[in-house]
Amino acid sequence: MPAISVMTSAFIDAAELMARVQGVPDHPFTVIEHPIASADAAGLEARAETAVEQAVRVLVAH
Amino acid sequence: MQLTSSRISVDDLAEAQEACHARGWTDGLPVVPPTDEAVAACLEWAMLPPDHLIGIEPVRARSITAEKAAVNAVMAGCLPPHFPVVVTALTALLQPQFGLHGPTASTGGCALLLIVNGPIRHELAMDATFSVLGGADRSRAVIARAVRLVLANVLDVKPGGIDRSTLGHPGKLGYCIAEDEEATGWISLGDQRLGTAPAERGHVSSVTAVASMAPRQVMNEWTTDPTELCETLAAEIRASQLNYSIWPGNYVVVLPPQLRKHFDAAGWTKNDIAACVYERARVRRGDWASVGKGAIVKDRAEREHPALESPEDLLIVAAGGPAGGFAAVIPPWLGTRSHAATVAVGACVDCEVR
Repeated sequence: MPAISVMTSAFIDAAELMARVQGVPDHPFTVIEHPIASADAAGLEARAETAVEQAVRVLVAH
Repeated sequence: MQLTSSRISVDDLAEAQEACHARGWTDGLPVVPPTDEAVAACLEWAMLPPDHLIGIEPVRARSITAEKAAVNAVMAGCLPPHFPVVVTALTALLQPQFGLHGPTASTGGCALLLIVNGPIRHELAMDATFSVLGGADRSRAVIARAVRLVLANVLDVKPGGIDRSTLGHPGKLGYCIAEDEEATGWISLGDQRLGTAPAERGHVSSVTAVASMAPRQVMNEWTTDPTELCETLAAEIRASQLNYSIWPGNYVVVLPPQLRKHFDAAGWTKNDIAACVYERARVRRGDWASVGKGAIVKDRAEREHPALESPEDLLIVAAGGPAGGFAAVIPPWLGTRSHAATVAVGACVDCEVR
């Protein structure tokens, strides 16, 4: 089943590091605004839309 | 003995220091150059071949071999007799229930607390009294540092690398204590957790690894009542539950002689203390509203959150200087995502040294 990683912006370099040490340096992932925990409903909705848009692009491209 | 690590040629000690610093192999402090002779001496003392696999960090499938551990142990200042404890500590950290990746990577900022029990404390002249959580004797200092350098240099656990701690705490610089077993009649933590038979108690050396936050010091010199002393400990645990993490986990309690005396006078064992704290160390979800976290109480205000899944999850350690009614509560990192692991110190009797 296709899967996609979703990172918040504060963890971009962590995701890149993990991809590198796992041997897949070009592993694609989506990025949403940080942080999530204190976001209100509208903020979560916006992040979800961002994640879906990026996920579709990544999954179609790969 | 055939070592396979790559070699660096340097002219003198100063150049060796700069070579290590320049490659990011240190924690900022000077290191001991890991010569072939020094690395081999550690491996021979522990009777481990260089390619002996201590364990694998499962999330990234990184293996830790005895040779790499010995290289970092020498750099940290270890002598050969320290090395079996380093290997035991790494073995404990790599137990599945410990889940090493989480505690080393989390924003939550915990450190790896090592608690040493058994005769090896004496062989290595480990101290468990004055300033036990602040100072360190040579053995505790170099063993904790060796583990830190292995994590940094073998597993990339460096700030901003795998280590994503927002703040961290000073325990990351070295967090190794010994239990003051001789000054108490209690069963040692190691014997408790290993289930050592009564006749063997006090004769088994071990390391207990705990993913731990910074110590929270409490003081109660105004009672001799063991239940009241437990209440002081439980109050600090409740505060940590509300302010840091509400989830249950392995809390460590360090009790000094002045407080242990009151428990002893009342005939209380570690199990009695654990049972008493277990009953008191719990909060309601609604209590979150009192510390500014009302947004996540929702309709579950009456739900009770115990700090310990069972009394056995409270790890009680006898340690500290002779005077003062101060105890320490050391909270866990994000509850049950990491469980403490205890491993006996022992040479690899089946290994042939190469």
